[in-house]
Amino acid sequence: MTGQAFFVLTALADGPRHGYGIVGEVAELSQGRVRLKIGSLYGVLDRLADAGLIEADREEAHDGRLRRYYRLTRDGRGALAEEAELRAITARLVRARLGRPGPQAAG
Amino acid sequence: MSGELRLEQRYRRVLRLLPGYYRERWEEDMVAAFLDSWLTGDPYTDECVLEFCKPSWQEVASVILLAARLYLGGVGAPRRYFAWGQAVRSAVLALLMVHAVRGVDGLRLVFMAHGRHPLGIVPAPPAAMVAAPAVAWPTAVWYVAGYSWIVIFAALVLGHYRAARVLAVMAAALDLVWLAQGQLNGALLSPYGSWAFWSLHDLAPVLAMAAFHRDTPPVARWPWLLALPATYFLVAVPELAATATGHQAWVPDLPGLSCILVAILCLAHARKALSSRAGTGVWSLTVVLLAVVAAAYRIASLGDYMQGRYLQDPHLITVGLAELLILVAAVALVAPDAARAQTATAAPPPQPQPG
Repeated sequence: MTGQAFFVLTALADGPRHGYGIVGEVAELSQGRVRLKIGSLYGVLDRLADAGLIEADREEAHDGRLRRYYRLTRDGRGALAEEAELRAITARLVRARLGRPGPQAAG
Repeated sequence: MSGELRLEQRYRRVLRLLPGYYRERWEEDMVAAFLDSWLTGDPYTDECVLEFCKPSWQEVASVILLAARLYLGGVGAPRRYFAWGQAVRSAVLALLMVHAVRGVDGLRLVFMAHGRHPLGIVPAPPAAMVAAPAVAWPTAVWYVAGYSWIVIFAALVLGHYRAARVLAVMAAALDLVWLAQGQLNGALLSPYGSWAFWSLHDLAPVLAMAAFHRDTPPVARWPWLLALPATYFLVAVPELAATATGHQAWVPDLPGLSCILVAILCLAHARKALSSRAGTGVWSLTVVLLAVVAAAYRIASLGDYMQGRYLQDPHLITVGLAELLILVAAVALVAPDAARAQTATAAPPPQPQPG
């Protein structure tokens, strides 16, 4: 799973959001490191929808336009949990190695 | 604030780059999200934004990249886009293989310059052909770029797309440096041909490497990896042998050789293509793309025989035109099948591959 897909799924974890809502949430979650352009966002949403990880939730009128909201599917929630676990394990391993003195320091 | 306003129109114009099926599914949503990213809620500010602002180049670039990925489709893409994607990917690999063959030949030159003859089957070449490569930096640049194409080809075949792309940009830049200094010094024997080669064999495949993305089905590794030594021994070695034994008049120049090789590919594939068997069309489309590249290279390089400082020769123009005719006749055999490929080639079903 790419970093962008991971952030998009995470942005939808606490409830449905529309396109620009996802962009804002991803920027906040990543502390400004991931700023999705609309073309990139819909590339990711298209793949996630095709993979059955997200689906349309509802449409709401806003300033004369329809905003479509997206939500996680059950598979999407499972995939996100799995990916989060994998990343947590990786992070623990990295921290452990960084905390351990390297061969030069030890030798 | 309804109706088509200027910022919206501008963004919709950018979205026209995307395939129709994709726009049908996502356009309204993309426009809504895009406008949301601009509008502030203040009526006066929003009026100015809608009237005068334009999509940023980053927004436009993100749509162009998305369009490239969709048109050069992978698994799960509509038939037409999958066929184009597969054909472009195969054509890129074939063009990179030409570079790799030249890189292998560069290695052979270095071996020979050090008194070793890795190809015992070839007669010993004249001394001028095995002189140690000059130490001048342009020659060194040319050799380094030549070897790196071998790595790039292997990386792409083995699925390391990002590494291949980065290395290819660097190698194309090195080739450009070598070419530009040759042009400035007036040292290029065939300026038309050299610039055409760079445009068609460096720049075009580097850009077309956008066709290798996450949805790309894996490349058939062994056929492509074996094609490199096979091409070297079937094409470069006989060419070297002919040159070494004083028969270089029979050896076509590189544009001519490209035309002849693509014509042979067309003829070899013609029986399958004419039988209209489903599944052969992508290869037909690939050889048509290669034929377009070879023909453009041949036509551009004729300029060296017409106006070049070193190579003016009316006889070579006639030979070049004959090579073009052979190519066109061979391509005519596979072109109808290539046209059918766009509707007959189904993409494999998508695997669940998030993001």
